[in-house]
Amino acid sequence: MATAQPLAGLRAIEIGASVAAPYGAWILAELGAEVIKVERPGKGDDARHWGPPFWQDMAAMFLAINRHKKSITVDMRDDAERARLRTLIIKTADVVIQNMRPGKVEALGLGADSLRAEKPSLIYCNMGAFGKQGPFKDRPGYDPLMQAFGGLMSVTGEAGQPPVRVGTSIMDMGTGMWAVIGILSALRERENTGAGMTVDASLYETSVGWMTTHIAKFGIDGVVPGRHGSGVAGIVPYQAYECADGFLVVAAGNDALFKALAGVLDLPHLTEDARFRGNPDRVKNAADLNALIMPVFKAEPRAHWQEKLDAAGIPCGPTQSTAEVLDHPQTRALGIVQDPPNDGPALSGLPLSFGGVRPPLTRGGPAIGEHNEEILGDPRLDD
Amino acid sequence: MTDKLPLAGIRVVELGTSVAAPYGTWILATMGAEVIKIERPGTGDDCRQWGPPSVSEDFRSFFLALNAMKKSVVVDFTSEEEVARLRKYIVENADIVVQNLRAGLVEKFGLSADDLMAENPRLIYCHSAAFGTEGPYKDRPGYDPLMQACGGVMSVNGEEGRPPARVGTSIIDMGTGMWNTIGVLTALHQRNATGKGCRVDASLYETALGWMNYHAAGYFGTGVPAKRVGSRAPGIAPYQAFECSDGYLVIAGANDRLFRKMADALGHPEWADDPRFVSNPSRWEHIEALCEMMDAVLSKHPRAQWQDKLDTAGVPNAPTQSIDEAVAHPQTLALGMLQETDDQIFKLLGLPLRFDGNRPPQPIGPPALGEHTKEILGD
Repeated sequence: MATAQPLAGLRAIEIGASVAAPYGAWILAELGAEVIKVERPGKGDDARHWGPPFWQDMAAMFLAINRHKKSITVDMRDDAERARLRTLIIKTADVVIQNMRPGKVEALGLGADSLRAEKPSLIYCNMGAFGKQGPFKDRPGYDPLMQAFGGLMSVTGEAGQPPVRVGTSIMDMGTGMWAVIGILSALRERENTGAGMTVDASLYETSVGWMTTHIAKFGIDGVVPGRHGSGVAGIVPYQAYECADGFLVVAAGNDALFKALAGVLDLPHLTEDARFRGNPDRVKNAADLNALIMPVFKAEPRAHWQEKLDAAGIPCGPTQSTAEVLDHPQTRALGIVQDPPNDGPALSGLPLSFGGVRPPLTRGGPAIGEHNEEILGDPRLDD
Repeated sequence: MTDKLPLAGIRVVELGTSVAAPYGTWILATMGAEVIKIERPGTGDDCRQWGPPSVSEDFRSFFLALNAMKKSVVVDFTSEEEVARLRKYIVENADIVVQNLRAGLVEKFGLSADDLMAENPRLIYCHSAAFGTEGPYKDRPGYDPLMQACGGVMSVNGEEGRPPARVGTSIIDMGTGMWNTIGVLTALHQRNATGKGCRVDASLYETALGWMNYHAAGYFGTGVPAKRVGSRAPGIAPYQAFECSDGYLVIAGANDRLFRKMADALGHPEWADDPRFVSNPSRWEHIEALCEMMDAVLSKHPRAQWQDKLDTAGVPNAPTQSIDEAVAHPQTLALGMLQETDDQIFKLLGLPLRFDGNRPPQPIGPPALGEHTKEILGD
């Protein structure tokens, strides 16, 4: 194998802003591709300003998903600048990834059809909001709107409480991952045939994609899935229990584990109780069961219970804050938190290793237009 | 591309169970790879037992969602002869192996990356682990809810003061399947140049950390871990679910221009000039007061009425839909996200991706247990 940067030699142009396209392009950059981020002069990508906290004028959020990229500025209203960007793509790029609002790249003469007509080997990825067709195709999309509209909010949180949003941008970031999967597959096709492809992904398709097991179940039994707090549908006990100093998730998914749990909690009579005999009984009588076991968990700290549950072979884990996660020996051992070569903040790396090596962190985020001369001054563009 | 899918000609062997490895190989199968799923005799993949049965007991909902387009081969791991036959098959025929068996098993059966890559250096071997391949937890088993808890996802999900809430779908398992796929496709690209395969490592725990990407960056910047904010997005207001008379509507008035339009649409143009609400930072500071005022107005009418007004004003909004509403929505249907197998037996959700405008179809449903054992291992 040899390298943790398998996409070295590949050039991708990102015409993107906010999270979805920049996150997809960030994955390509981590994998070794040269990613050139196209920004408007002056303010650049909106996400540069999404702070505090800031480091050298870059919001933490921007830094997290734009490191390892190069930045060039292009004033899209200026014909000459736009033409030079087009030349840059035609002459030097393998991949374009874009998430401008619907119709915008076409209006600028930078759409897939127009560029691929001139450069058939180009792989062009559109990241839309609601997808290419349908009554909502021209609507804008944002992560929370997609969490609501695609059904995820209907299965997250507690029944009877107001909706909750998943606390991280799984629609934006998920769409970035789908874009990369599409681009890498198209690359394989290009290696065989020499021809590029247009790849379409969208926030809405990603949101429906997250619901696949719920949709399969609904298609069979017609029962609309609900919200189960920290638990899952159909398995008891399998949820977070409050201990003296915080919550511990306990997963006793079968009868043997339930029996072991009763032993750990010193409530041996639970296994004799007809209400709790098999999992279906426990699901039906979950409230009664929880009324008996919750006070026991509450009486001791979570380390106490974790040790006993581990010894009994019952899967469990504490609910950790960001601070606890980053400080955990397991996180440190994996080397996924990386320190940059400059004095910038630590950042979390790609959750992937190649040949046992995680792609390293070598560069922070670019200043706006930092690479204008290097990229746009390329003499090949003047031929 | 219309007649051929991008991964046609690639052969994948899945030594997988449950969700993470099978979801990743489902993506590969849908994009054209031949995926051979290895199962144990009798019960097969655990997830054949999960959820309500469809056409028969063999095809319950979880298995259906994650295994269409694959072949199933049964191998008895207690038989040395059968394991040897599988090993020979992989070494001679496979491009990619994806496995998520519990720690130590593949080593025991001589099916580890080292064993197989020594005999076939072109092989790409993806280990989809629980807590990763190093560290004090490397041998612990992993489950999606536990990973949502100890990876920090639950700490930013739900409302402050309420018990923890799990994300209601398996974003750790499915996310790991997506990372597996990104890893093996990248390795395939590299193999094309070098002729050499590669070991790819992904894990549930790393995927969980990956979802915390920008929260981690924020924490390193401030030293303050992110909190739970219900349906809100931290630092942006108004950007959350509001209760109308018949349900919830998420409204995104994320900048000053949209906030002014929203205030007009709600019949209170004066809000935009209220000193508490003139900029996003000041709206976030006074969010409780703002929400109280918006709730009082929005709760008076049904959400369709507010949607009309907000759409006309150009303010992004969306109702919170349940699954039945989402699958029946004209947008879902227009996109062709719902697919049917050629035999019309199975309805399946398609890949959220299109190539040259075409979504890869799923003409073939999930396999019966051992349906392809003879075809694959018989010769």
